[in-house]
Amino acid sequence: MTPQNPDTWKTASDVPEAIREPLGRLLLSLADNKRLLGMRYSEWILGAPTLEAGIACSAMAQDEWGHGRILYAMLKDFGYDPGALEHEREAAEYLNSELLDSPPNDWPTMLALNALLDTALTVQCEALTESRFAPLHYKVRKLLDEERFHFEHARGWTARLAETDAGRTALADAFTVGAGPVLRWFGSAGGDIGSVLATEGVVDGDPDALRKRWFDRVRPLLDQVGASVPPSADLGWSDWDDGRRRTGAGGPDSDTLARVRGDKNRAMLMD
Amino acid sequence: MGRLSGEKLYEIFARQKREDRFEHVGTVQAPGPELARVYAWQTYDEAKWFEMIVASRDAFHAVNRDESPFTLHPTEIS
Repeated sequence: MTPQNPDTWKTASDVPEAIREPLGRLLLSLADNKRLLGMRYSEWILGAPTLEAGIACSAMAQDEWGHGRILYAMLKDFGYDPGALEHEREAAEYLNSELLDSPPNDWPTMLALNALLDTALTVQCEALTESRFAPLHYKVRKLLDEERFHFEHARGWTARLAETDAGRTALADAFTVGAGPVLRWFGSAGGDIGSVLATEGVVDGDPDALRKRWFDRVRPLLDQVGASVPPSADLGWSDWDDGRRRTGAGGPDSDTLARVRGDKNRAMLMD
Repeated sequence: MGRLSGEKLYEIFARQKREDRFEHVGTVQAPGPELARVYAWQTYDEAKWFEMIVASRDAFHAVNRDESPFTLHPTEIS
């Protein structure tokens, strides 16, 4: 049992105004990334190298989509309309990682999402298990329980590809491309959102602490294929948007946006 | 999506309650036990298992019959 902090917030309305907005944006970032990551997994159900890997992608897609749905629903208490969040937004309103803007076009790039970005979302969720915002406790634990095999999938495939020169090189390249955006995703060290949430006990670590937890976990995989990671001082913050947790003004590409919003089925949406 | 070189067959056993006996629930192909565990858990999710285990097919030895599903050589499985 988690000791009950007398200052724990039991509902969103208990959360002070100055914290409700950054907390809502954190939940929306997690929701958007999980929704789009789930879509990327689903795109490999039929194209993975083996039937088993395709089934694994199907299972991981279901996990991520379910988590996205739970998180979008939570946002109702933060003043958002979950239906509008899921079906009505423009690309520039999504809070997803740059890595999810367009589909990975090969299996190593897919594995980089699995190993690096999926793990980053998990590290961020782990940092919420004792959050001062109590409604997260049970939901995050359930979600983390379902995530336990995602990293093992990435680890197993990293070992598999590391067996050949071609596989090792391809995965090293994909990891090197993915590492920078994922490291940035935790937020800039001096950024308001990550620092405020840590100071207020919503998240149990600031962006640098979460970055270190993530790096400690993925480092064996990076090392196994010889991928290089940019030093923390050289992550490229010049175009950084702290509110969207990404660089640049972009967002999901048009095909991704149409599918993630369910544009084809818009006529069937009720209320 | 056939079998990749270097992959082996793994047999999966599971039980729903501690007091249950393990039942054979299926088979996966994987390069090693690490991915076999992942595939087993994600593929055979029809029940809320209390415990699941995997074993390489070549760990099984026939006792009274020359041929049984677990002891057939992988190349003999269609």
